[in-house]
Amino acid sequence: MTAAAAPARTPRRRRVPWSLRAAPYLFLLPNMVIFGLFTIWPALSGFNISLYSSRNGRTFEWAGTGNFERIFSDADFYQALFNTIVFVLAFVGLGVCIAVVLAVLLNAQGFGKSFFRSVFFLPVLLSPVVVGIVWRWLLERNGGLVNEALRAIGIPAVPWLVDPTLAMISVIAVSLWTNVGFYTMILLAGLQSIDPNLYEAASLDGASHLQQFRSITLPLLAPTTMVVLILSTIHGFQAFDVIYNLTGGGPVGATTLLVQYVYDNAFGPQMQYGMAAAGSVVLFLIVMSFTLLNWWLGRRAEAV
Amino acid sequence: MSISSNSSKPSTWTSTSHRKVRPAAVVRTVNLTALALLVLIPLVWTVLGSFKNQSELAQRPPTLIPRSWHPENYSTALTGFDVLRYLSNSVIVVVVATLLTLAINSMAAYALSRYNFRGKNVLFLVTLATIMIPLQVILIPVYQVTASLGLTNSLWGVILPAIATPTGVFLLRQYMLTLPDELIDSARIDGAREFGIFWRIVLPLCKPALAVLTIFSVLWRWNDFLWPLVVTNERTRTLPVALQRFASQEVVPFNLVLAIAVVSMVPVLICFLVFQRQIVQGIASTGMK
Repeated sequence: MTAAAAPARTPRRRRVPWSLRAAPYLFLLPNMVIFGLFTIWPALSGFNISLYSSRNGRTFEWAGTGNFERIFSDADFYQALFNTIVFVLAFVGLGVCIAVVLAVLLNAQGFGKSFFRSVFFLPVLLSPVVVGIVWRWLLERNGGLVNEALRAIGIPAVPWLVDPTLAMISVIAVSLWTNVGFYTMILLAGLQSIDPNLYEAASLDGASHLQQFRSITLPLLAPTTMVVLILSTIHGFQAFDVIYNLTGGGPVGATTLLVQYVYDNAFGPQMQYGMAAAGSVVLFLIVMSFTLLNWWLGRRAEAV
Repeated sequence: MSISSNSSKPSTWTSTSHRKVRPAAVVRTVNLTALALLVLIPLVWTVLGSFKNQSELAQRPPTLIPRSWHPENYSTALTGFDVLRYLSNSVIVVVVATLLTLAINSMAAYALSRYNFRGKNVLFLVTLATIMIPLQVILIPVYQVTASLGLTNSLWGVILPAIATPTGVFLLRQYMLTLPDELIDSARIDGAREFGIFWRIVLPLCKPALAVLTIFSVLWRWNDFLWPLVVTNERTRTLPVALQRFASQEVVPFNLVLAIAVVSMVPVLICFLVFQRQIVQGIASTGMK
């Protein structure tokens, strides 16, 4: 702050004074230093690390494309990639559908609307650690609340977090539980910006609720839905916190996604920085392409 | 926020314009209630569980309302296991990181919105481009930078890497663009210094946008997990990281884990209840989370 204040002491002149010319750079400086040190430089050096191999996280040897060859012949990497794709497809597909339905329901609701809106948004604000711990407890095979409720209606205990397929289903369901409220809020804002006169005109013309939904709500909500689709895709590829606390990636890697693959390789006992960095590069390219797509669509939407 | 001013179908339980309660409205309310319960039951169950003793928590079938209430779970949990230290670590991280975020993001936003200078577009693009680089994909090099700066043993290592947020700069910039030019020009003619204009004139006018960024920064930092997990040690652990350890190592009885979980939820819930409007608007306008 003092750095930015200092040039202002130079006396003002008729021409553009030095203080005025230097000021924007000084105002930007702290933010850019942090970006540079902790985002841009790491992004560049991440590519570099992926070309070296390290067994202890300290000494590095040139490996060329060796790390990429290793991860592309690593069964764990393929499993993590496969798990990530399954997770993202289910998370995004179900998430967008549920959020659209919820937003439409909420928008139509009069009685207790703000209460429902608050409740659905609540899980978004919870710590992912708390969400993971609580759901692991609720989904316990013996005596967890879910299985106790099922037992009450005569269904035997379900091995939610023990069976690989069920564990993936649980991970998807809990991730939806925490995130759907967020997407619903964005869609609700989109719904509220639709001109109510359109519905009035449509119902005067005798259009049914379903027809109104199909020919007014869905097309006018499409841009917002696209934003949600891409945001949720990016969130899906970045998923780590809730899953790490819910299943720890298990059983036997069944719910290990790419972020955890990177984390396990780098900060697990092996400290395979190079391999982890190569995994990061793959993840990076995936996330970046979706973010660019998001940006491009956003710009196109603004231009229309 | 008005509740149903622009909803398409005004028929509700309490609607006076229709004589009868429409069946569609009943079905909708029942569905919404069922979904709301799906959200609320786990939370209520957690709070109730945090008041049970260990044997009651392990009981099958479980009890809903604790047979005997144990509020001392909270004092036991908070005074044992270094929880107070982790709690204060979290508070320090949230407060310092949020203040720094507000300071440097608003300065950057001011430069990008109120000045014309060489390289402006490039620097703005650089800021936006960092959105494309989430921590998850640069975890290892960020850790290396932090380690080489010697920050891994202090809370600065948790705080500093994330204080420059592209969404914060973007949000504040959009807001500052709406301020009238005359305000700043006349201050300049009056001989105000550049930083003085920013500090005394622009910042006070940006209070609504600063409030939104404050709320989000508090929520981000309080719940932040992956980075603190990587960078903290026994002394510098934040509450979520400590909670994860407690739950996975099973050293801490689970009723106490639940009590700590509830404690960690309280600030977020208060924040939400007080600032709900700003949070919803912030999400709707920027898609930030």
